[in-house]
Amino acid sequence: MMASLLTSAPSLLNFLIFFVLSALLLGAVLGFVTYAILAERKVLGFMQLRVGPNQYGGRFGLLQTVADVFKLLIKEDVIPAKADKPLFKIAPMIAFVPSFAVLAAIPFTDRFYFTDMGVGLLYFLSLTSITTLGILAGGWASNNKYSLLGAMRSAAQMISYEVPLVMSVIGVILFSGSLNLLNIVEAQSTVWFIVLQPLGFVIFLVAAVAELNRVPFDLPEAESELVAGYFTEYSGFRWAFFMLAEYVYIFATAALTTVLFFGGWLPPLQWVPGLGFLAYIPGPVWFVMKFSAVVFFFIWLRGTLPRVRSDQLMEFGWKVLLPLSLANIFLSAFVFELFFK
Amino acid sequence: MNGELLIFLILAVTSIGGGILMLNLTKVVHMVMALAFTFLSIAGFFFMLEAEFIAVAQILIYGGAVTIMMLFGIMLTRHNDQDESRKRGLKWIAAIGVVAFFVLIVLAIDGINWMPEETAFVENNTAQIGLYLFGHYVIPFELTSIVLLVGLVGAIILARRDRKLNKEGEAHD
Repeated sequence: MMASLLTSAPSLLNFLIFFVLSALLLGAVLGFVTYAILAERKVLGFMQLRVGPNQYGGRFGLLQTVADVFKLLIKEDVIPAKADKPLFKIAPMIAFVPSFAVLAAIPFTDRFYFTDMGVGLLYFLSLTSITTLGILAGGWASNNKYSLLGAMRSAAQMISYEVPLVMSVIGVILFSGSLNLLNIVEAQSTVWFIVLQPLGFVIFLVAAVAELNRVPFDLPEAESELVAGYFTEYSGFRWAFFMLAEYVYIFATAALTTVLFFGGWLPPLQWVPGLGFLAYIPGPVWFVMKFSAVVFFFIWLRGTLPRVRSDQLMEFGWKVLLPLSLANIFLSAFVFELFFK
Repeated sequence: MNGELLIFLILAVTSIGGGILMLNLTKVVHMVMALAFTFLSIAGFFFMLEAEFIAVAQILIYGGAVTIMMLFGIMLTRHNDQDESRKRGLKWIAAIGVVAFFVLIVLAIDGINWMPEETAFVENNTAQIGLYLFGHYVIPFELTSIVLLVGLVGAIILARRDRKLNKEGEAHD
């Protein structure tokens, strides 16, 4: 369905179909964000022997996030008197728009995808850097030293970790011979790239967590030292937009990890003789299962690890991850030439 | 009016608008944001022309890296700098320059011998770029990387105030 839609001649109807589909995706992503926040609080609660939210929406607090978001939306819209007003207003938008735009590159199943782009992976990685612009603008426009420090840290961190992130996927590109995420998934029909690229996967995961500004790399919003980092001065729906961007990036990164290393919608272990029945489980179910496992891993990390120090962060990025990712490229090239040619 | 023309018009307005905003805004940080807007619109042009790789590289390098570097530079130095009012006489010189440039560009565009239009866009143009870059143009490509490396080493030497250039003065690429 999608393939014929993508190659059809552009028309108003075509535009409307894509508009409706993107609106549906936005709705799905907002639903994910609502319950990802709840899941995060619940899982963290269980890990710390608490119960987590349980007041709104029954025993499991199913409406807790809804109540939180409603509170944010009816809050007074506060802009600091000394803030740079136009920049302060557009910064949350600059931060949010790329986070949703990257989802265009993700193939969810072999029939449900929004682009069949030759450079899907690169598109994803390049758009994420625009969010940094929004964060920097927000931190600067707030005219607050904690905001500026948080924004600076965030930008420095995102630039430093983008380099190993991009380099860690070169191995995947090498094995699949394509930057198109659809082809990358199809190249994993026998064995997933996590098996062929274990080092690349670890580097990718560490760098991705750092790009997400999550624990243990949550220095930009380190509560105990910077109040809340770049969004210290933000409240109400603008603050909600920054948080939304963060959680949509969790969605996008988890989906990208699934596509790059866990074979997307493909069932596992198809070369084992007795396991052909796994193919009867439909692709979307496999995708959601793998995706949820990655999201759970991110939450698990938050419940487990302490925050790293600022200098450790930079040293780790440049002196450990970068050489490792370079070594991974060489290793992948040798392995590919020797065994897969 | 087809979709392509519509997209072209929107992108043209946003890219030129970004440029005009950049010239007319007074705060330096606002200027850089307007410039980023122009960079992204230009990436849109490349997407429209089905040069996805160049479009993405444009976003990655100009929209992301270059803009963030400029913002960093501004924020860490005189970040409250405002544009001073310009001198009157310079405006006339600038106007003459703009008119001359316009005439030159019109003449140059007029002089182009438009080839018969390519019927099909190159399939897989990312792979084609790779093959050309590492096959036919490998020596210029490698020379460029040497220039970049020299630039990096130079930047590190400028940034290091202390004279202890020990083993740790290695350059990253």
